[in-house]
Amino acid sequence: MEYSCKDCRFYLPVDVFKGLCKMEKTSITPDDLSCSKFERQPKCKFCTHYSVEKDFLGKCMGTTITSPDLNASKCDDFTWVHLN
Amino acid sequence: METPLQTGYEAISYYGHKPSSNIENREEKRLASPRASAAKELYFEAKSSVSIEFPYWYTRRWEELEGEIPIVRRGESLKAGFEHLTPVIYPGELLVMGKAGYLRGSYPMPWLSEAFFMAAEDKLYQEALNSGKLTADTFTTVGKGGGNVTGSSGNVISLAGKFGLRVEELPVLLEVAKKWYGKSVDDVGHRYEQLVPGYSEKEALMRSVICMFDSGYTLPQGREVINFYYPLQYGIDGIIRICEEGISDTAGYPDMDRIYFYTGVISMLKGIRSWISNYAEEANFLASIEKDEKQKNEYLDIAERLEWISTKPPRTFHDALQVIWIFHVAVLNEDAISGLSPGRIGQILYPYWKRDMEKGIIDRERTLELLECMRIKFTEIDCFASMGVVGGVLSGNTFNNLCIGGLKKDGTQAANELEMLILESGITCDTPQPTLSLLYDEKLPEEFLLKGVECTKIGTGYPAWVNNQVAMEFLLNNYGHEGMQIEEARAWAIGGCLETSPGSWMPLNLDGKIHWIPGGSAPATSVGVHFLSLPKLLEVVLFDGMDMRSGQRIFPSHGFDLKTYDELWKAFQTYFHRAVHVLTLTNNIQHDAWRKISPSLVNSMLKPDCLERGKDIGQMGSRYNTTFNVESCGTANLVNSLASLKKNVFDEKNFSLKDYQSAILANFGYKTAQETGSYSLLDQVATADYQNWKKIHKFSLEAPKFGNDDSYVDSIMAQWENWFCTMTHEFRSLYDQPLYACQISVSTHGPMGAVTLASPDGRLAGTTFSDGSMSASPGTDRNGPYALFESASCWNHSLSQNSQMNIKIHPSVVKGREGSRKFLELIRSYMRKGGFHVQFNIVDSRMLKQAQEEPEKYRSLLVRVAGFTQYWVELGKQIQDEVISRTEYEEL
Repeated sequence: MEYSCKDCRFYLPVDVFKGLCKMEKTSITPDDLSCSKFERQPKCKFCTHYSVEKDFLGKCMGTTITSPDLNASKCDDFTWVHLN
Repeated sequence: METPLQTGYEAISYYGHKPSSNIENREEKRLASPRASAAKELYFEAKSSVSIEFPYWYTRRWEELEGEIPIVRRGESLKAGFEHLTPVIYPGELLVMGKAGYLRGSYPMPWLSEAFFMAAEDKLYQEALNSGKLTADTFTTVGKGGGNVTGSSGNVISLAGKFGLRVEELPVLLEVAKKWYGKSVDDVGHRYEQLVPGYSEKEALMRSVICMFDSGYTLPQGREVINFYYPLQYGIDGIIRICEEGISDTAGYPDMDRIYFYTGVISMLKGIRSWISNYAEEANFLASIEKDEKQKNEYLDIAERLEWISTKPPRTFHDALQVIWIFHVAVLNEDAISGLSPGRIGQILYPYWKRDMEKGIIDRERTLELLECMRIKFTEIDCFASMGVVGGVLSGNTFNNLCIGGLKKDGTQAANELEMLILESGITCDTPQPTLSLLYDEKLPEEFLLKGVECTKIGTGYPAWVNNQVAMEFLLNNYGHEGMQIEEARAWAIGGCLETSPGSWMPLNLDGKIHWIPGGSAPATSVGVHFLSLPKLLEVVLFDGMDMRSGQRIFPSHGFDLKTYDELWKAFQTYFHRAVHVLTLTNNIQHDAWRKISPSLVNSMLKPDCLERGKDIGQMGSRYNTTFNVESCGTANLVNSLASLKKNVFDEKNFSLKDYQSAILANFGYKTAQETGSYSLLDQVATADYQNWKKIHKFSLEAPKFGNDDSYVDSIMAQWENWFCTMTHEFRSLYDQPLYACQISVSTHGPMGAVTLASPDGRLAGTTFSDGSMSASPGTDRNGPYALFESASCWNHSLSQNSQMNIKIHPSVVKGREGSRKFLELIRSYMRKGGFHVQFNIVDSRMLKQAQEEPEKYRSLLVRVAGFTQYWVELGKQIQDEVISRTEYEEL
């Protein structure tokens, strides 16, 4: 699976166009491809409770609408999806 | 044939001699600390960005609690929003936390209104358009530069011509918004406001942009002064204990409504506590991966501070400043708010600072650095609202007004050393926020006033100079019936850009010693009838109730023949009265919907005496509740137009009223501002038809103009002011209190001018109105500032919540120490005459022209608009053109 910087826990958003790498202190964009230091940020799309509905839209636990890219680091129910 | 305006007017108007051939720079200023400079650079690179986190979690929790008591449901929803915000800490920050997960982050609040950020083809959007809610958006220009995301590109979507949203967040935003359809404050208020007799007139007033916007769902809070006493004195856990005791005392008793308020506050505070703790956790994480020892220690220091203040009261000046910032942002996160003023924080924080200085915990250099960091944080604040509100009213600003000076509780002067440093930080770190207002009182020390002048002179536009005694008189007149006395009147400050707001003194106990600190003591002091376009209303009078631009009828015939000036004035009064009547009633309903659906908890908890009474601000829990007003726009154009008609039609009979009607429809033979692409009168272009209207236009332009110490027109100003400030008291707010007059244009003089035909003062169609209320119309004040002061003091300013005057001065005039003295004398003379407010642009107008042509070279150029300072590149063209066209004084 290919990840972009916006999926990384070291991504610090400045605005919708760009951010900083917390590790390297460099300017990056959210859509840049991730590097070797990449670590996943908890997001709905990485949670076992998430199911896809359509582009950029899914459901949490099959009931509540949510966004795949929503930060879930403060969600009590977040559970990492197993990676193959 | 096209000819430039043939009236003796030039592209830029000057009083005195013309400036030398070279563009004059402002006085050199001292530089900010490297830390603040780096933060400012990052700010300049950042774009306004919208996040969906808060609205998503808020709405999710709201839906889960269907059937719960509304204020408890609200508290739980706010808690969910706060505790799920992603913490973002930028390198070098000393003060942390923000509204959303971006540097200039904000978010929509669909529980207030959901229609305007729908796609233009969406049914909801079309419905809003038809009801007149969005008409002002159509006539608003938003700045094309700076941090505005003016167009969509790549994975970013532009909202309201200003905010960027990641494309992957749009679908869930629309889903969340649709959940509020029919349930938002906007929708519920709209459903019930239609019950007001004559409601169709309200929609006609909105569609014609005679009235600009509804405050109930656009900006229901703000234009007020926050109060930081409770978190400073008790800390979060201390306030929770107060609420728990309140519940124990009242559960089961007849006034047990209080338990729901306290329960909501507790939930909300727990959310804020988690929000702070999440930031502490992030700071610890950043420290764990940081290689630079100094930065690592700073992260650890941030973490320790946040962990402490997440539950307890602050220990130091730095702690207290962080608490102030957190609660300021927390209030901003509960509603769409502009004009939330931190108030007199130099006096609130002084006991902490003085103690730290004595203990050697802090020095002046570190204080200055912290205050510069504070300026950057305030400048990062964005408010997500529609284009009409963000561009047409706010110009991208959010009006966080920090006040200095004034008097203490005991009537002695209140300025202190920390306020001197606040002024210094405004010089070294010149940013739009927080703007500064100096509460001028004769008792203030000369050194302090000269420091204020030094700051104004470098072109920051702040401090604005505001008359302390006039404000206190207004407050005693309007809040006396609620128990205000002279001592408490001294606790006031400016809320928003220029709204006089009541305050109170709270007993801060530090090391066993009581310090009386000032803070806001009323909810939003500027909601109600917002704004009323005076020149447009006169236009409707002249056409017997019709808006000739759109062809729609606004009012039934006024029934006057307009044979005399007195009849004209009566017809104007009739329509104005009618507009205020219907708008007051519909606004009351909207604000009632707001207090029922979206009651304030954060701001209520902070405001005396909500915690004591167990009531939120919507239930009159505040100490003072006389807070609704009628805001006007285009005062000088109205008064000049009346003077022109009086002289040319009724006194000298040079023309008939019919001649004027024809000339207005023909735009005096000129192209409209929309056609020329400039909104300044001075740039307009004549058509071949011009000769037919040359005479009447010349007579109109040469009729007496306000601002020249001419009693002919000044008496009309006095008549208008005395009537306006009195008639507002006839109307009652939602809280059954009388309304009062408010006279600031903010940025509404742009879009309101854009929809107004030519006016009898010679102003041309679509051009921006004069700003403020005591500012002269651009280019018409030809006798210098002292003549303008004479004109402006023709009425008693304490009758109104404010008055507003802008003056533009060439930098060479106030240069050096002698220039400073001269400048202070100028300000002092206006204050002594009873003028309420004056503010300055110290700039060479040609520089502004150049900045309009080459904006990329002027990213940091600041200008004063009408109650606020903004980066030039973030202003819409309507306002840019108006600022350029203001008369530039080359002599004092």
